[in-house]
Amino acid sequence: MKHEEHIVKTLCSRFPFLENRVYIQKEKRIFTNPLSADEFKEVIRYAHNEMDFYRSTHVVGTDDGNTLGLLYILANQEEILLALRKSVPKENPVVQSISDLYPSIVLHERELVDLFGVVVIGLPEGPAYPLPDGWPKGNYPMRKDWNPKYFNKSTMQYEPPQTKEEIKNE
Amino acid sequence: MNDNQIVLPIGPQHPSLDEPGSFHITLEGEKVINAVIGVGYNHRGLEKACESKNYIQNLYIIERVCGICSHAHSTAYCMAVEELAGVTVPPRAEYIRVIVAELERLHSHLLWLGVACHEIGFDTMFMYSWRDREKVLDVLAAFGGNRVNYGVNTLGGVRRDLDETILELIVKTLDTLEEEIKLFIDIAMTETTLINRLKGVGKLSREDAIHYGAVGPVARAAGIAHDMRVYEPYGAYREIPVNVITDTHADVYGRTLVRMLETQESIRIIRHCLKSIPDGDITMKVPRRIPAGEVIVRVEAPRGEDVHYLRSNGTDILDRIRVRAPTEANWHGMKHMLEGGYLADVPITIAAIDPCYSCTDRAIVVRSQENTNVMDWKQLRHMSVDYYKKQGIDFAACKL
Repeated sequence: MKHEEHIVKTLCSRFPFLENRVYIQKEKRIFTNPLSADEFKEVIRYAHNEMDFYRSTHVVGTDDGNTLGLLYILANQEEILLALRKSVPKENPVVQSISDLYPSIVLHERELVDLFGVVVIGLPEGPAYPLPDGWPKGNYPMRKDWNPKYFNKSTMQYEPPQTKEEIKNE
Repeated sequence: MNDNQIVLPIGPQHPSLDEPGSFHITLEGEKVINAVIGVGYNHRGLEKACESKNYIQNLYIIERVCGICSHAHSTAYCMAVEELAGVTVPPRAEYIRVIVAELERLHSHLLWLGVACHEIGFDTMFMYSWRDREKVLDVLAAFGGNRVNYGVNTLGGVRRDLDETILELIVKTLDTLEEEIKLFIDIAMTETTLINRLKGVGKLSREDAIHYGAVGPVARAAGIAHDMRVYEPYGAYREIPVNVITDTHADVYGRTLVRMLETQESIRIIRHCLKSIPDGDITMKVPRRIPAGEVIVRVEAPRGEDVHYLRSNGTDILDRIRVRAPTEANWHGMKHMLEGGYLADVPITIAAIDPCYSCTDRAIVVRSQENTNVMDWKQLRHMSVDYYKKQGIDFAACKL
């Protein structure tokens, strides 16, 4: 755990705001608590440029109620994983793309757009992923309030119960 | 785009693709100068489905993320749940998981060899490698009951124990395969047609492989010893030495050599397991409700690093699972591999990462239940014989 402790110490000495917000979960796993947009930007740039976290395995999106959680998982040459957490409000889920640092993140960021409705600024142009053409706008299937049983595959429309009667019959 | 350039759409349905994917290739003459890759055609919302089933039901969904590396996915999922539940898997079960994982690597690499040889018109080798892959599938079918989704893993261990008959079958099959694989390696190292066709094709240098986050045989063929069995040993790999096979060609030829030599290594690992497998239980009880927590688990699938993120909430239904399959990591370098190459090299370059589109999209293709007709082996064979009889070929006399 020497390497992990060194990484946490380096991060905390460089970014005092990380004190008590970054922790070793177990061997080769370091997590942070949610960081603000500015904090996240600073930490991820430092991890990439100064700490040898050379690749990002992927981003995990989560629905945390009123917010959407984003867990960016980075790996260094020793294959220690640093998971940087970020939280954005569900009503206005806007994040900056990190594809300038990690080109391999593009597909995963596109997934956040399609499945969680996250607006990723700076995402390079390219085909959407992974939902099909004609998918109804404003439908983000990985959000907890999106129920697959209301999705009509033949019309490609999301048809949740509208009237009190329909809701009662549910 | 200037007047000398044309855009050639390949896919989503195309003879050179095993699964649907779209490749918009910009050509200047025969040279590829740009490639836009579109995937997602197999997306079926598998992760969402897992959020409405319990942990044991999810095992069956997760095993079907991929038809080829099904055991790798189910192992990662089981490890994640077991870690959250604080359950230690019995050592015998850990060894059985490794034996099946290496058998899976064997059949996956032999499958790849066949596909790759088919793409370059070397169909004799394709037939040979698929013939031998069947021998591995026979072992897996005899042990697990299925050719691909073996259903060996369960939460807390494995569902089936190795008995004398299976052990004998594994030993016998490995002996036969070892000889055949020696021939394949000899061909891969000496056959000039194959070497000249694959060398320099689909280049991804060591620096580029790092830059694009390549994993598995693609990274190892660029000289990076990236293997989760060594970086982060799990299960019985903690006790079994694994030699990581690397190569420095950094092209399709290098990927061929790495996969071929890895089959030999898999045979060695299985033999090591058979010698040192401990006696004892094969399963531990896992509680129905899993304590709240989150975990990231990584295993080495045949195509590379397979990452599972799992978040539990204290109930019997998980809160979130995210499966990052190896192909998903290798797609990013594909554009780079294609650009600068020739149109004729596109199919083999795509095939060389051993892409699994379903893995990437975490999906299974399920057709409508209407008009479904279930046939047993005899009926299936009968239908096949009838079909070919109409084409003028009579297979009825062939023994199977």
